[in-house]
Amino acid sequence: MRIQDRKDPGMDPATSTDIWAVAQSPLLWICALLVFAVIGVQSWIYVRAAKRAGEGIGMSTEDLSRAFRSGAVASIGPSLAVLLVAIALLTLFGTPAVLIRIGLIGSAATETASATVAAGTMGASLGGEGWTQQVFVVAFTAMCISGGAWLVGTLILTPILKRGGSTLQKVNPAAMALIPGAALLGAFAILTMNELPKSGVHVVAVLVSAAAMAVMLFIAERFKANWLKEWALGIAIMVALAVSYFAHNGA
Amino acid sequence: MTARTADTAMAAFEHTTARWGRLTMIAVLVISIAAPASLIIFGDFGITVNQIVTAYLAVAAVYLVFAVVEPVTYFPIVGQAGMYQVFLIGNIANKLLPAAIVAQNRLNVKPGTRQGDLAAVMAICGAAMVHVTSLLVFVGFFGTWLLSIVPAEITEIAQLYILPAILGAVVVQAAVTVKQIRSTVIAVAAAAFVIYVLLRVAPVLENFYVAIGVLITILGSWFLRKKTVTPDPETGAPQGG
Repeated sequence: MRIQDRKDPGMDPATSTDIWAVAQSPLLWICALLVFAVIGVQSWIYVRAAKRAGEGIGMSTEDLSRAFRSGAVASIGPSLAVLLVAIALLTLFGTPAVLIRIGLIGSAATETASATVAAGTMGASLGGEGWTQQVFVVAFTAMCISGGAWLVGTLILTPILKRGGSTLQKVNPAAMALIPGAALLGAFAILTMNELPKSGVHVVAVLVSAAAMAVMLFIAERFKANWLKEWALGIAIMVALAVSYFAHNGA
Repeated sequence: MTARTADTAMAAFEHTTARWGRLTMIAVLVISIAAPASLIIFGDFGITVNQIVTAYLAVAAVYLVFAVVEPVTYFPIVGQAGMYQVFLIGNIANKLLPAAIVAQNRLNVKPGTRQGDLAAVMAICGAAMVHVTSLLVFVGFFGTWLLSIVPAEITEIAQLYILPAILGAVVVQAAVTVKQIRSTVIAVAAAAFVIYVLLRVAPVLENFYVAIGVLITILGSWFLRKKTVTPDPETGAPQGG
C-alpha cells in the first residue's frame, strides 16, 4: 500500500519506468545464453547415452534418430504458441528475462501471474501503474526463486520416487508395466477435461483437435503414411486454432 | 543380445542420465538465481531483502505446492532420466510429453517399455532443441521486430485456446499409442468425476486435480485389469534377480 512518488521521473530506479534500460543488461543476456547452453549440453549427453543404451537393447540408431526427429517436428506447433506469448511478454520483462523464464520451467501464464502477485506486494501492477525498475527487479527475483523451487523439488523428489519405483518393479513387475501408460492417459484425460467447462469455444477447440488427430492417424495407418504421425499434432493444433478463431469472433 | 547385456545397457543409461541430469539441473538452478542476483548486486535499485522475501512468499503461496505435486505426478510417466529433462525446460503437458507420445506412436512402442523410454528421451531432446533454437531466433533476435508486426488478435486467440487445441489431439494420440482400452475408459471416467463432481464438492483440492486424476486412473487400471494377461516381456521385468 504505497503511494507512488511521481515528482521525479528521472533516473531513480524507484520511480523510473524505463524497464528496458535494466532488462537488456548484458549480465542478464549472459545468464540467458548460459541457461540455453546448459540445456543443449544436457540434450547432447542424453542423446549419446540413449544411443549407447540402444545398442544394448537392440534398438537401432535409425529408430532413435527417428524418435528425435519426431519429437522435434511434434514440438513445432506447441512452440509457435509459446513463441507468440513470449513475444507478447517482451514489453514487460525485456528479452533476456523472457528467455530465462519462458526457456525454463514455468509458462507464460505462471510467470505473468507470479509477476502480478510480486508487483502487488509493492503496491504496483504489472506493466501498469508503478511498474518501475525497482518493482521489475523484485518481481523478476521472485519469479526466478519460484521457478527454482520446481528444480529443487525435482532434485529432491526424483531419487526418492526412483527408489519407490525400483522397489515396486521388484515386488510387482506387472504393476510397472501398467502404471506409465495409465498415468499418461490419466494426466491427459484430466488436463483436457479441465478445459471443457471454461467456455463453448474451449469445447470446440478440444473436439476439433481430437477429430483432426483421429482422422489423420486413421489415414496414416490406412495408407502407411508414417510421416503424417509426426506432423499430425502440428496440423491438428493449427486446424483447431483456426476454427476457434472463427468460433470466438462469430459467437 | 542377451537379457544381461540389455540390463547392463539400461543400468548404464540410468546412471549417466541421473548424474548428468542432476548436474545440469543444478547448473541451471544456480544461473537462474544468479541472473536477478547480478542485477541486485551490480545495480543500485535500493531493494531490501524484506521486499524480496515478501514478494517471493506471496508467489510461493500460489505456486510452491506445484513444485512438489508436479514432480510426483509426472514421475510415473517420464521416469528418472526424463524428470531432469522435463522439469528443466517445462512445457511438460503442452510440448514435451506430446512430443514423446508422437515418437512412441511413430515407432509403435509403448510407454513404460525400454524402447518406449529411449524413444521418449530422444523425442524430448528433439523438442528441447526446437525449444531452445526457436526461442533464441524468434524471441532473442527477431522478438522486438515480431512484436511490432504480429496482430494482437492472433496472440490473444493463441493465448486463449492453445491448450485445448493441443490437448484434444494429444489425448487421441496417447490413447492410440498406449493401447490400454480399459485404462483409457477409466482415465476419462476419473477425469469427468474429478472435474464435475469432486472439485465442485471440495474446491480446496483444485491444486491437486491432475495428481488426483492420475492416481485414480492408476489404481482403477490396476484393480480392474485383465488378470490373465502376463506382463509384457518388453518391459524387461527382472526375472528372479
